[in-house]
Amino acid sequence: MIKLLLVTPPVNSLGDFVAALRLDADVELLCAESGQAALKTADEKHIDIVFANENLGDMTGIELAEKMLTVNPMINCAAVSTLSSEEFSEASEGLGLLAQFPANPDKSMAEELLQQVKTIMGRVASSVKRET
Amino acid sequence: MKNGRIAIPSQGNGGLDGVRSGHFGHCDVFTLVDVAEGEIKEITTVPNQEHAQGGCMVPVNLLAGHKVNALIVGGIGMRPLAGFKQVGIDVYYEAARNEIKPVVEDLIAGELQQIKSDQVCGGGGG
Repeated sequence: MIKLLLVTPPVNSLGDFVAALRLDADVELLCAESGQAALKTADEKHIDIVFANENLGDMTGIELAEKMLTVNPMINCAAVSTLSSEEFSEASEGLGLLAQFPANPDKSMAEELLQQVKTIMGRVASSVKRET
Repeated sequence: MKNGRIAIPSQGNGGLDGVRSGHFGHCDVFTLVDVAEGEIKEITTVPNQEHAQGGCMVPVNLLAGHKVNALIVGGIGMRPLAGFKQVGIDVYYEAARNEIKPVVEDLIAGELQQIKSDQVCGGGGG
């Protein structure tokens, strides 16, 4: 089961994307409406991946990804960003973000994200299993 | 370093006489050097795993699983550095030399410094 923390203000443009996430039986969807709320949730619960909208009210999605490192660097992060790919790469340097998403991500992007997360989680699990 | 296991991201087959890899997430193998009482006792290698975007925690878990105590890199992203810290692996910085053996000897002799925050680099982290 993938525990996905969706971080976005109540009024947002992620409807189709979120609907697709909810359709996946392997996903447990948790929600937070601000960056600080997301950090608190990640500190209290096991989270596999954070998906952050671009503007969270108190910080950007990229800023949340950086702050998330102090809570648990094992948590994967992905974020909506309208920056150019070059600007996004510069802004998120070293943070290990899974991907940059457009302002209105669609169903197929949700499916691609989940596939990417499952691949990474599988590799992490196999790297641990190899030594046990 | 008197006792412990050192990991060095390596090119090709690795080994003590091998060549370091500049990007730990994309190295071919990790050379593992076991140190006891300040002496090199055993050399082994472990293959790296395929690196995916955002997958920089894979080598962190791989090396933690191999009971590594110290890692020598020429650069590392903020996230994997935080990950290594979380699993208790000290990360040392040496960017000038490509050969494995002299940097291992320097680490054992206490002549390498742990990486500092201003030496952290980007490029997707791993």
